[in-house]
Amino acid sequence: MSRKLGALVLAMGILVGAMGIKTVLSSNSKGTVVIANGPAPMPIPR
Amino acid sequence: MPGSIDLIIWFLGTAFELTFVVCSLARKSFLRYFFLNLYLLLSMTVSIGRFFILWSSGQGSDQYMYFYFYSDALLTVALFVALISLYSHVLGELRAGEYVKWGAVFLLLGTAGFSYAVVAQSATRLSTSFAYELSQNLYFVGLVLTYILWGAVLKLRETRTRPVQIILSLGLYFSGYAASYALANFSGKHGIIQYICPALGCFLPLSWSLTMLRYTEESRLVPAQLLAVPR
Repeated sequence: MSRKLGALVLAMGILVGAMGIKTVLSSNSKGTVVIANGPAPMPIPR
Repeated sequence: MPGSIDLIIWFLGTAFELTFVVCSLARKSFLRYFFLNLYLLLSMTVSIGRFFILWSSGQGSDQYMYFYFYSDALLTVALFVALISLYSHVLGELRAGEYVKWGAVFLLLGTAGFSYAVVAQSATRLSTSFAYELSQNLYFVGLVLTYILWGAVLKLRETRTRPVQIILSLGLYFSGYAASYALANFSGKHGIIQYICPALGCFLPLSWSLTMLRYTEESRLVPAQLLAVPR
């Protein structure tokens, strides 16, 4: 049980870290859309 | 229709995805790397679907935009599962499979909950905003997970060449994504990014295919090549 709790705490820590990085990188956001999955061309932004 | 550079990158990327699947089958490693193959098979299918929609409706159409973002969310979840399967490869000897599984479920649910909380205020097109937000957030979760996995590779002195190369490629892919995200946000220019992101999507299956072609499952790396250990 405690190990599952450990997995939960670790998962939350990773989530907080990831969202922290995203917030830092988008601090000067101008609403740009960047998606990088697959080699297809991105839709034209409006 | 997109320009010729876009189309070349697109076709090359799809060909590399097919190459990886064929190499896995030829090297009898399809089931060992099943989730990587599943991700690339899905990506190929999505590429074909995107091509037909783009051909019939155009790059600026709503149909292409919606299909692009929804399919991207699906692909990002598939990539997340593939990344978790690499954890099982690396941590297999520690018998930590159950905890990896639970951690992955918590993380996916947590990311989905966070993404929903961010877009919940948006009354219009909630599901589209959610798909887009989930996809972006999962990318950053994937970035952190890959670096943690790389730390585990170094700590456990993993010597199998294939998993090491695959994880390194994934690390470069996510890092490139984060860098292009930062570049787009800081400069606000879309010009270069429209080539960088598809090129990254091309790089990942290429590097995985080369790994599958050049090395067998028995190939080993010398641990000293991975990390300079202070004496």
